[in-house]
Amino acid sequence: MVSPALHTHISQMDAPVYEQQFAVTRLMLVEDDGPLRTLITRNLREHGFEIAAVATAAELWLVLEKESFDLIILDIMLPGMNGLDVLRRLRRTLDTPVIFLSARGSEEDRIVGLELGADDFLPKPFNTRELVARIGAVLRRRSGEVLSEPRAAAGDIVFSGWTLARASRELRSPSGMLVDLTTAEFDLLNAFVSYPQRAIGREKLIELSRTRLGDSSDRSVDVLVSRLRRKLAGPDGSAPIKTVRGVGYMFTVPVTRQ
Amino acid sequence: MSVSATLRRWYERISLSLAARLLAIMLVILVADFVANSLMFERARTFVVNSEEVARAAEHLVVARRVLADAPRHSRPLVAHQLSTSRFHIDWRARRPAENDFAALPSLKDEIVQAQRELASADLQLVLVPLSRGGGMAGSALLPDGSELVFRSKRLVSWSLNWDLLLRFSLPSLLFFLVAWWLVRTSVAPLQRLVTAMRQVGTDDMELLPEAGQSEVRQLIRAFNRMNERIHQLLTSRTQTLLAVGHDLRTPLARLQLRVDGAPIDEATRGEMDEDISEMSELLASLQAFVESGQDSGPARAIDLAAMVRSQIDGAADAGLEVTYEGPDSLEIRAHPAGLRRAIANLLQNAHRYAGTAEVSLRPGDEWVELAVADRGPGIPEERLDDVRQPFTRLDDARARNTRGMGLGLAIVDRVIQAEGGRLDLANRPGGGLVATLLLPRTTTEA
Repeated sequence: MVSPALHTHISQMDAPVYEQQFAVTRLMLVEDDGPLRTLITRNLREHGFEIAAVATAAELWLVLEKESFDLIILDIMLPGMNGLDVLRRLRRTLDTPVIFLSARGSEEDRIVGLELGADDFLPKPFNTRELVARIGAVLRRRSGEVLSEPRAAAGDIVFSGWTLARASRELRSPSGMLVDLTTAEFDLLNAFVSYPQRAIGREKLIELSRTRLGDSSDRSVDVLVSRLRRKLAGPDGSAPIKTVRGVGYMFTVPVTRQ
Repeated sequence: MSVSATLRRWYERISLSLAARLLAIMLVILVADFVANSLMFERARTFVVNSEEVARAAEHLVVARRVLADAPRHSRPLVAHQLSTSRFHIDWRARRPAENDFAALPSLKDEIVQAQRELASADLQLVLVPLSRGGGMAGSALLPDGSELVFRSKRLVSWSLNWDLLLRFSLPSLLFFLVAWWLVRTSVAPLQRLVTAMRQVGTDDMELLPEAGQSEVRQLIRAFNRMNERIHQLLTSRTQTLLAVGHDLRTPLARLQLRVDGAPIDEATRGEMDEDISEMSELLASLQAFVESGQDSGPARAIDLAAMVRSQIDGAADAGLEVTYEGPDSLEIRAHPAGLRRAIANLLQNAHRYAGTAEVSLRPGDEWVELAVADRGPGIPEERLDDVRQPFTRLDDARARNTRGMGLGLAIVDRVIQAEGGRLDLANRPGGGLVATLLLPRTTTEA
């Protein structure tokens, strides 16, 4: 019943890749269900992560006073303080990446979570490979940002009237209308707007748009580009993506960040 | 009118039971009828007694009778003709027929005899001529020799056959009919409100009716309100239960999944267990989607329906559905995106499941947008087309038994589309297959 476009597939990527990239990846898990906490901790340790786990928000604040982590896995339904509120408070002082776990898996929770600055959202049940893949993707995306443009991932991007709201992963037309993109299309567009008015090779595009592993479509970049063009087409039928022969593509209009 | 004003005052003062009220209405009509009839009789009598026409007719009759009696028999028809005027026609007959149409009109006869005593010996006979034969009054008087004078006057009884007068006499009845109609209508108005409210029972907005009207109606409304509250509570608790089930099962399911991940079992078994867990998880997702369908919070947004449809189509195509699209590249409507996205995905999923191919078309009309998903699958038996909108309905045949799901797919679509003010139409296609059509209101002007 889950829409194919929203449904996330399991990536074949393996953890050791990240172990090489990040000598020690320190994770924090906030999960009130004891057995589940134990299972996640155990399975992630087996994949080479260093992980600490607490059951409540109160414990989290105590631990965060002394230690720092590369990523926090946060259950949305927590006793005392709800995960969304935890994230809101966390974001006042810390920029640590956050992946939400949700037993409700509702669209609304997902959107609110992402808008509050969560980096990903994983509905229960999930398997270890999927969780590991998401952790890897978030860390890689964040590390890429550190090199190029710190903390810009969540900002809105505007180009010729269109708005790409990256936190909520929404594209809005010049008239303010919500234009659905599949996950792959969103990631591709996000890659384009990161390098506006420059020719980008297909390989580079694949690499850039692979930061998120959800919906890793088998479709070639060319198919995705043509789908994206159709959605971005103005009344005259022209889209701001140009084919550069022998190289790849170019996003032709300037972008501004907000 | 003073009569209806009085009735209205009574109506406002007295709060009778419905039965008493209907009896009262009947009584009013009976009284009205009685009064109207009496009035008519009264008028009739008064007219004849007072009319100069009677005296004049009597005079004319006496003179004509004398003249005819004096005239030789052979010339009497001519004389009768000469005695006739435009309003009083006279004829002569040698003998009165044994049978004639004339029946005595005693009161009128008395008046005429009173006016001219001489006519007492004439064995006066009178009759009203039906309107179909020209109206008026006819009569006959005997001459002393036994021959007969026949006369006819249109004037004398014109009152009974005059359209204007007819209207004047029927006016009270008409008026009372209107009053009665108004009374009955006012009495049943609360019942009509009740019927309207009943149509809303079971939907999300519960409306309690004010207790108004007669005592039985008040009781009915009170009972209805209680029933409505109970139904609403049941629906709410069902929703809460389903949500709780969905939520509470996800954590143990997550544990199970992680245990399977770490268990020392062979890959084939692990794969099968993964399948089972993901199917359970999909069932929970569809349950949750059903509960949430049509309850989208927040205002409707401007969305590009064409882009949404294409995104869903592309996703379904990537998952293996052979699908074509016909329609515009962009089409703005106002709706709640999450629900609509799911509705479209469900239709595509059904096409994928039962047919493997789908033809999607999007047609913008002036007021409605029509989105059709057609397949060449087995379709749905005609008599089950309405059933499949009901939640937990699965077609009990071979093709449905080995499919996944709880029979919520089309129920979700139906609820989502109704919440958007639209409609889901299902029909079998000529040549086989199903076509599901979503009609959505096209309200784009608010932006």
